[in-house]
Amino acid sequence: MSVRLIRAEVVKLSTRRGLMAASLLLTVVATVVFALILLVLHWTDPTKHRIVGGINHFNNGLYSLTQLATMAAILIGATAGAGDLAAGFFRSLVVTGRPRGSLFGARIPGGLAVVLPIAAAAYVLLALFSFVVPGDASTPSTTLLVEAALWFQLYIAVMFLLSLGLASLLGSRATTIGILAGLQLLVTPLVQGLHNPGVGADSVLGLALWRLAPRELLNGAPPGHLGESLAVALVVIAVWMAAAVGLGAWRTVTRDA
Amino acid sequence: MTDVVETSGLTKRFGDTTVVAGVDLRVPRGTAFGYLGPNGAGKTTLIRMLLGLTRPSSGTMELLGRPVPEQRREALARVGAIVDEPRFHGHMTGRQNLWVLAAAREPEAHARIDGVLERVGLLERADDRVSRYSMGMRQRLGIAACLLAEPELLILDEPMNGLDPAGMLEFRELLCSLVDEGRTVVISSHLLDEVERTCDAIAIVDRGRVVLQGRLADLRDSADAVLRIDCSDPARAAVLLRLREDVAGVREEEGQLVLRLAADDARTETAAIAHVLLDAGFELYRLQLDHDSLEERFLGLTTRLGEAA
Repeated sequence: MSVRLIRAEVVKLSTRRGLMAASLLLTVVATVVFALILLVLHWTDPTKHRIVGGINHFNNGLYSLTQLATMAAILIGATAGAGDLAAGFFRSLVVTGRPRGSLFGARIPGGLAVVLPIAAAAYVLLALFSFVVPGDASTPSTTLLVEAALWFQLYIAVMFLLSLGLASLLGSRATTIGILAGLQLLVTPLVQGLHNPGVGADSVLGLALWRLAPRELLNGAPPGHLGESLAVALVVIAVWMAAAVGLGAWRTVTRDA
Repeated sequence: MTDVVETSGLTKRFGDTTVVAGVDLRVPRGTAFGYLGPNGAGKTTLIRMLLGLTRPSSGTMELLGRPVPEQRREALARVGAIVDEPRFHGHMTGRQNLWVLAAAREPEAHARIDGVLERVGLLERADDRVSRYSMGMRQRLGIAACLLAEPELLILDEPMNGLDPAGMLEFRELLCSLVDEGRTVVISSHLLDEVERTCDAIAIVDRGRVVLQGRLADLRDSADAVLRIDCSDPARAAVLLRLREDVAGVREEEGQLVLRLAADDARTETAAIAHVLLDAGFELYRLQLDHDSLEERFLGLTTRLGEAA
């Protein structure tokens, strides 16, 4: 795969000021604001708001950050998948003779190179805050920090790929964002909250991803239904990815430009 | 002279509608070639097929001697093209857009960016966002993008659309300079006048079919001739000339006779007609032999415009 094409994808995404601002707002800024609010509450009424940082804050904060960073991943994925089409630029790329498959392929590492550092920056801030102001709570272990970091990055990468594939398939950024936001913000929490969600719940991508989360993290986060086995969760994730990336690549190769 | 574009029986159907119907096109190397036709004649669809933007329903095509789509990548490596209108990412600068396009081309393309920007007169505005560019500047950026490939062949779809007269003149000079460098430039257009000014070979397309193609000079020479005769008693002279089989469409127009002659024999026929009229006792004041203008041929060949007229 061409490194120059990957760098071009990074340039196309990172020069979109609105997209970058929204992504930073949903991740880095949200993490800082959340922490500052807790700090202010603690300073104004230390007896009522005793614990500010520590492992509870880390666990709860990571759950919220995952939701918000997923939205950033969806925005970036949808833009990577449909941005060229929307601008009429895809045609200009196709007439260079470069195979369409490689044009699609470059979007994956290019987009990940944008979304993962943003998510990582927010994660680092969350972790730092858990240590800087732990209150009287224990701090996250190194093992938990590393495992949670890897899981969080996997979660964001998978949601980015889902968005990229769907946007490449549909050719529409707005439709993709609408569908995936609905899936992430409505369907997943709804299924998650059901007492007896049935076998179909196992196929929900968000739940399958939470099944991979570190055990210690699950103690603090409210994941609800996580009945499926690890193997089923891995299969569910693999099928979603194969479908999204496969269909996106197929449509990119076959569509009239 | 070799052909840089060669199609055979190229056809594109959308459902029951045939947009390009069995086109056999030859574009000679080193020429400015006009692909001329009214709106909706199938010009853009043919270009899109050549560039691999859409698949043909049937037929074969070659670009720069290479069959496409089989050797599309190799063929397009030396082709620059603008389809419909040049479209760029408005949030990026002109230079950034070229940088992204260069990434899809050979590694040397990046080193050409400043040169092509200077060539099209955009170097000073290269770091402005494209959303701030005028239509003319976007067209020039489109040409710059084409030149990144060091192209042997440029395919430009309606390149004069949206340009003011000064912009058109500037653009025409740029195209002529590209041809002078030995490149082939194919211009698709419905602007007959522009094609006539810029091109030295043309194909006229109507309803998906190429109805005429060749070098402009040859087409002008082969056009039907129109003979205008200023003589005494034109009404009686018209009756006399209508008896001849070698003339057609004899009519009176503003006190003169106007008739059509076959192009290959027009001078001899003119002399013969002069003799006939003089022998019959008419006085001849003036004989004027003209060939059909390209516009007249275009209007005659393109049925849509012909029907509308």
